[in-house]
Amino acid sequence: MLRRWLNGIYFPLFFSVVALAAIGIFFIYSASYRDPGNYEIKQVFWILAGLAVLVGVPFIGYRPFLSVSYPFYVLTIVLLVLVDFFGNRVMGAQRWLTLGPIAIQPSEFAKIGALLAGVNFLGSHHPWEGQTKTVSIALVLLAVPLLLIIKQPDLGTALLFIPMSVVILFLWGVRKRFLITSFSALALAAPLAWEFLKPYQKKRLMVFLNPNLDPLGSGYTALQSRIAVGSGGFWGKGYLGGTQTQLHFVPEHHTDFIFCVIGEELGFLGSLLVLCLYGFLFHSIFLVMQHTTDVKAKMLCGGVLALLFSHVIINVGMTIGLMPIAGVPLPLVSYGGSSFIMICMSLGLVLSVYKERSIF
Amino acid sequence: MFTRFHFFQVFVFVLVVLLGLGLFQTQVLRGSYYYELSKRNRIRLIPLEAPRGRVLDQKGRLLAANRSSYNVIAIPEDIIPEVYPRLAKLLGIPEKEVRRRMSAGREYPFAPAVIMEDVPQELAFRIEERRPELSGVSVRVEGIRYYPYGETASHVIGYIGAVNPRECAELDHDRFGPASKIGRDGIERAFDDELRGWRGGQQIEVDARGQMVRVLSDLKPEPGSDITLTLDLEFQKKIMNMVKGLHASIAVLDLQTDGLLAMASAPAYDPNIFVSPASSEQRLQVLKDENAPMLDRGINAAYPPGSIFKLVTALAGLDLGKITPETRFRCNGSFQLGPKSKPVHCWLHEGHGNLNLYEAIERSCNVYFWNVAKRLTPDEIAHYAHVLGLGEPLRLEISHMAPGLIPDSAWKKARFNQPWYQGETLNMAIGQGYMLVTPFEILRLTSIIAKNGKVVEPHLVVQDRTMMPEASRVAIREENLDAVKRGMLQVVESDYGTGQLARVDFDKLAGKTGTAQAPPLKAHSWMTGFFPYKDPKIAFVVFVEHGGSGGITSARLVKQILETWKDLHAAPVA
Repeated sequence: MLRRWLNGIYFPLFFSVVALAAIGIFFIYSASYRDPGNYEIKQVFWILAGLAVLVGVPFIGYRPFLSVSYPFYVLTIVLLVLVDFFGNRVMGAQRWLTLGPIAIQPSEFAKIGALLAGVNFLGSHHPWEGQTKTVSIALVLLAVPLLLIIKQPDLGTALLFIPMSVVILFLWGVRKRFLITSFSALALAAPLAWEFLKPYQKKRLMVFLNPNLDPLGSGYTALQSRIAVGSGGFWGKGYLGGTQTQLHFVPEHHTDFIFCVIGEELGFLGSLLVLCLYGFLFHSIFLVMQHTTDVKAKMLCGGVLALLFSHVIINVGMTIGLMPIAGVPLPLVSYGGSSFIMICMSLGLVLSVYKERSIF
Repeated sequence: MFTRFHFFQVFVFVLVVLLGLGLFQTQVLRGSYYYELSKRNRIRLIPLEAPRGRVLDQKGRLLAANRSSYNVIAIPEDIIPEVYPRLAKLLGIPEKEVRRRMSAGREYPFAPAVIMEDVPQELAFRIEERRPELSGVSVRVEGIRYYPYGETASHVIGYIGAVNPRECAELDHDRFGPASKIGRDGIERAFDDELRGWRGGQQIEVDARGQMVRVLSDLKPEPGSDITLTLDLEFQKKIMNMVKGLHASIAVLDLQTDGLLAMASAPAYDPNIFVSPASSEQRLQVLKDENAPMLDRGINAAYPPGSIFKLVTALAGLDLGKITPETRFRCNGSFQLGPKSKPVHCWLHEGHGNLNLYEAIERSCNVYFWNVAKRLTPDEIAHYAHVLGLGEPLRLEISHMAPGLIPDSAWKKARFNQPWYQGETLNMAIGQGYMLVTPFEILRLTSIIAKNGKVVEPHLVVQDRTMMPEASRVAIREENLDAVKRGMLQVVESDYGTGQLARVDFDKLAGKTGTAQAPPLKAHSWMTGFFPYKDPKIAFVVFVEHGGSGGITSARLVKQILETWKDLHAAPVA
């Protein structure tokens, strides 16, 4: 029994999760030990809970999750609507829902809810039957949580739905024609969407294109985070030796800007280590995908991979000025319970796909 | 076979490698550059406040402007300990105070802290000369608010003050910083959003001694927009002179545009004392002064209207068909509601004799209006008062107080849990009792009558007339308004009128006086009216707190106002 269960754990994947989480603890401490809050202790509890989810989900298997995907999807939508009415306002955005002692971020769960529902829906329809109707319904399924999250407003999280949706449609076998049309539609809709953005969101995007527009605001954050990462050089300034991040030049350094701390204190070597761990994690997910014949399982893993991948690219990219500033956490490393558990749950689904791998 | 799966795989790893290359470029190739920048943090942020928009009168004369001020600033991170005593000595404040200001209200690390605002030019030069021994300290020339005419229109323009930290946290950081000023009253407050521009800032790179090496990024502040008022500065000044030493409010409205030509309240205060931190003593004095110079008596204080309210009683009676202009009542000096009631007296104890409505308004006969009130309910009178704008909020830009009070039976029930007594209707009919109105409500009432029932909302900021919707009309028949206007004409022009002292020789004036009892002190003095009687151009209200008889104190002021207005504006009429 135990053997069969252990057999279901894919150790390379498990290892990279633990390694990244450990790095997270160390740098959450480094980023916040001067402030009250004891974030690293809290994060230990979240990690333990997350790891329990990670090994617990394969025990159930991914199929039950798919079969309850629609009710779960509806639940996440309800939570998103609730957060609109009862949510806590933190820095102008309504993203948190307080349930007793814990605050949850429904948008994190909406990602996985939309992924499961989208996969289940697409997987139940063959791509050779008429695509128009299937694809349109799938797009609506994915767009509803996206629009609710934009309204919060949390543009960064909302945009993460796009690569995830593209990947599952792509792996499902959507015609290239559809992909091209929807991309051109998106490109055409962009100027319209611009009108709906909040002033600070517009400013962040404008500043990305022209840092001179807001030298005291987000242009400053962008420059300071680049200085932090860059000043680490090749070897870094040593653990707890970062000056930029310690002096609060970079905001939110234990959550969204934790990569600044890593880059500054461990230098290029440390950044490369973190990047390689992510690469290893992605690679192991690809291997799991290769060994399954179930279309739904393949799309599920692809969607999880796309989510993680886009988080990493946006988060690391923004610290070195390759991406606009967006409130996106670094998966498994940034402080935050909802995000960690959501990622563990989705990786647990990948593990359960591995458990049911075909042997050939 | 190259499947979609492979394509996906290649895409992911290519991007991961690109990210790695980006990190290589930032950390290895440009690492030493960023390392230099990070040492002692070489980036300084200099927020630049936007110049505040100016306030102009109708002819473009400056009512609120900006002058330059020398501010001593310091970047605390660049300061060495020896600087504190030197700076304290130069500025003449304790060293502890310098340290406190150094750490208070900063936006970013390495942002400049304001140590002293608006220092004398000579001190600013001394500090600049000694900069080598005052590292981290500098003098910056910035704009500061300036009100060239001091008290002249203080209640209209208002004043500004520093934002407090709690407000600052909630406001848009593109527009407010910890050192920003915000409008606290009057136009400065009501139009703060327009007057305030957008802040700019500079990101500069400095060397190890805190000297600027180059500007990395520069955003010019965007100045606020100017506001043009309908006030006429010359007229306003002269009127302020007339009320000097009184507790009074005068307002003159241009009936063609509904814009205020003058809006004076006395005593007034000098808004400049709120700008410079040096005058905190004077500020305290003004705030504690029992004459309440900060109070705008025209819009933020309510008083009994006295006989002026007889205009409303007359209109209610006429419009409800209870009287006609020719209805006559006899005044023998006193009035009894019922056979057993205590008699009440007219102000003229000998009695006015047999009067029609015109004569009753002209002589302000109490007994006549008590007889009218006997035919009306309090709720009918209150209804007409509200129709004519009494007890209704003003739409004046700078008005933010609840309107006066027009009592009715429901109000009395709610307030005292008592029924309305008919005797109180008598009080109400002559504007005494519970009733309270602001001088501006009276001005609006007079303007509505002058414009034959067109709704008037006085305003202060010049508006584009073509954009305005056609004003609606109050629900009162025009012939009734005409009757009241004729009564108002006789108030001034008849030899029995109560307002004859206001009579001017160049045209005919229509008005109404009021003397509102305010025991134990002297009565409040009122006069309102419009001019000229035919084709009115202006309407006005004059109110003098405890000024005595309306027909004397206020009427004399009215005459001066009209003569001044004629000198400044009108080409002689006829």
